Amino acid sequence: MSRTVIYRARRIVTMNPGNPFATHVAVREGRILGAGSLEQLAGWGAHDLDERFADKVLLPGFVEGHSHAFEGGVWQFPYLGYFDRAGPDGTISRGLRNIEEVVARLREVEKAMPRDGSTLLAWGFDPIYFGGRRMDLSDLDKVSTDRPVVVIHSNFHVLNANTPVFRKAGIDRSTNVHGVVKDATGEPTGELQEMTAKFMAYKAAGVQLASLLSDNEAVWRFARVAQLAGVTTATDLHNELPQSTVDGYLEASAREDFPIRLLPAFAAGLVPLAEVPDRLAGLVKRNNEKLRFGLVKIVTDGSIQGLSARMRWPGYYDGTPNGVWNVGPDEIDRTLLAYHRAGFQVHVHTNGDEASEVALNAIEKALAAAPRWDHRHTLQHCQMADASQFRRMKALGACVNLFANHLYYWGDVHYEKTLGPERAERMDACATALATGVPFAIHCDAPVTPIGPLFTAWCAVNRLTASGRTLGEAEKIGVADALRAITLGAAWTLKLDDEIGSIETGKRADFAVLDDDPLTVDPTRLKDVGVWGTVLGGRVFEAPRRA
Amino acid sequence: MPEPGATPIPFTVIGGFLGAGKTTLLNRLLVAPHGRRFAVLVNDFGSVDIDGRLIVAHGGDTIALANGCLCCSIGDSLATTLLDLLERPDRFDHVVVEASGVADPGRIADIGGIEPRLSRDGVIVVVDAADVRARAADRYVGDTVLRQIAAADLLVLNKRDLVEDAEATTLKTWLEGIAGAVAVVEARHADVPLAALFGLPPGADLHPAAPACEPAFRTWTFATPHPLSREGLVAVLDALPSPVLRAKGFVRFADSPGRRALLQRVGRRSRLDDEGAWGLGRLVSEIVVIGTPDMPSDADLAARFETAARPVVDAAVLSATLDRTR
Repeated sequence: MSRTVIYRARRIVTMNPGNPFATHVAVREGRILGAGSLEQLAGWGAHDLDERFADKVLLPGFVEGHSHAFEGGVWQFPYLGYFDRAGPDGTISRGLRNIEEVVARLREVEKAMPRDGSTLLAWGFDPIYFGGRRMDLSDLDKVSTDRPVVVIHSNFHVLNANTPVFRKAGIDRSTNVHGVVKDATGEPTGELQEMTAKFMAYKAAGVQLASLLSDNEAVWRFARVAQLAGVTTATDLHNELPQSTVDGYLEASAREDFPIRLLPAFAAGLVPLAEVPDRLAGLVKRNNEKLRFGLVKIVTDGSIQGLSARMRWPGYYDGTPNGVWNVGPDEIDRTLLAYHRAGFQVHVHTNGDEASEVALNAIEKALAAAPRWDHRHTLQHCQMADASQFRRMKALGACVNLFANHLYYWGDVHYEKTLGPERAERMDACATALATGVPFAIHCDAPVTPIGPLFTAWCAVNRLTASGRTLGEAEKIGVADALRAITLGAAWTLKLDDEIGSIETGKRADFAVLDDDPLTVDPTRLKDVGVWGTVLGGRVFEAPRRA
Repeated sequence: MPEPGATPIPFTVIGGFLGAGKTTLLNRLLVAPHGRRFAVLVNDFGSVDIDGRLIVAHGGDTIALANGCLCCSIGDSLATTLLDLLERPDRFDHVVVEASGVADPGRIADIGGIEPRLSRDGVIVVVDAADVRARAADRYVGDTVLRQIAAADLLVLNKRDLVEDAEATTLKTWLEGIAGAVAVVEARHADVPLAALFGLPPGADLHPAAPACEPAFRTWTFATPHPLSREGLVAVLDALPSPVLRAKGFVRFADSPGRRALLQRVGRRSRLDDEGAWGLGRLVSEIVVIGTPDMPSDADLAARFETAARPVVDAAVLSATLDRTR
């Protein structure tokens, strides 16, 4: 029999309502024997008492229900965002507060690159905080006039480039193309949008970008970024799972020191429907303790801030025409039904409320065609749902994972431009989910926003935008409910609530080790609670001390 | 990768809602005896139905045909698929992309504007004559369908046999209300005049099967040794009615008589690109016009184009001409 270890902590918040708080937790064979007092746990027999968490607070390991391993890929490029962000090694990339700072940072990076004319690619840039000033060709020409420089915006739908890129592509004032942004005099500004941006990004850095997802190092970087935030289980919620990726994930997850449980969701729609359920069933057979195939993802629409979400009447507040379907309603019905019949759980990306409606229609039709208990199909993002849609979710047995981080990062834009006050104030409606009884989680969608469940919980509790506006007093939830959403709530939406999400007998010994007690700090400071590290299956992963 | 300065490859996007007949059209294109090498990018390999005897190689994401055409599966990224294609050593005469059933084909065609190895040829949108009105009124996809129609340079009114003539006329008027004076080609089973859609050399035997509804198309050629007035030609092109489906040719303008311009017109969209010096070629402007049988008569077309070709004799033209004969 393996050793029993009893950890003492300042406090253990279990998320088990029958035994909510404890001082000790006993671990054997990577699983929890029980939580309680030392006396209560001593009955399990011989044990080692581990005091290293004596001044720490333990919570169930955080569960990130909507993230992408792509987060690990982008960190091989310099980060240019407005907000501080922690990289895989724990160092903080400082936020850049104006375009001059962005240019200065790029010049530093450029100087360190080999003189071979290779492309400088960077990510995370977001000009919405720069008071209307956009980046232009002359800014990036200050970085280099011979090396191609490409800056991908934080939304991954827009980019800026320098003159060498434009010259090579033959883009000039005579180029009359939708995605090429021009100034008042008709000259291209250096910004490319949507399809042209995507094409140019791949063209400039195709080899590097294509390798991001199949790169074995990327999944390690992703796992480390997640671990630093207290996450022990994270999804990779859209992956076509080519063999190289499957092999990389199998290899990584077999290693003792791989710090998270990883749940890739198969990207439905990229492979002919007839072949997939079998292929996915084959992958499920290869699951191990730290790698779980079996989730399916359908992407229905675009994003609200990208003006591509599918919205119900009356549409965008600023009059922008309705967004775009990624796949049409008929195809959503067909795809969801196929996986539903095959017994899989489907996660449906729906940003706009029309997309949510179509997803709910699809679930309803699938249930009529093939009744099934406890399917837990989950609406992902679901940012605009109103109370009636939550009632439908409840009636259909669906779950929801709300994009709480949006409140902070884009809440002001939603209030002023995309949704208008009323709908912005009810977006990511955690309180409505709670009141309606829809099982729910909250998420970050990394790399769209940084992975950090305590920050995400802070968003759901405080609903503050970047400018400090409170967005929807009525949809705020309490700290305890928010903490449940990032642990047991998320575990439920992944059908893992029997295994993880709370600290109780029989579950896996997955803990978030915190410097402070999130239930006693001021709720406005929730995001600032330090993460010491994690425990995964009884193995301790200390986060590197941050600079 | 082609050498720098190689002629860009015409780039066509086929749009249209699910079930309109895009795939049928592409299947025809891949196997028709047109003698040209098409690279066709499709969404769903499974729906490509090609006689196995015509396939010379079947890779994971590509099917190579005996006639030199290539069919590629788009997978998760059109951008990467297209870039991979352009990096292949084999050179294609035309690249065709099948837009997904809900995509805006106009946005995909934008790639033709920023990739120097491609030149935007046109957006062809296929609509189902029996179904398009209902789709356009659909609560969820109506605006998507209307956007597709509005993006078209040329519309294929497919499944024409499923509606009466009167209804087809009403449909065409309705389509023009959305897309403007756009060329509309009627078809059954997506059996379209490929030359009209893709600008194949006229005279090639493109229509081995019986014509669908009516004789496929007419062609007419304009040739003149006189340099053309740029404004005059643009006015003529702008005034061409919608039954003119395509025009292509080399033009010598009076304002730059030593240089050769390439004219390409798909549907209602024309573009003129400077191709450099004439070199040793004959100093003759030559424009081939392709259209439905309803396009203006040969005499009418001749009258229109000749207005742009009034003899211009000025010093610049004369010296450019003399330079070459010296």
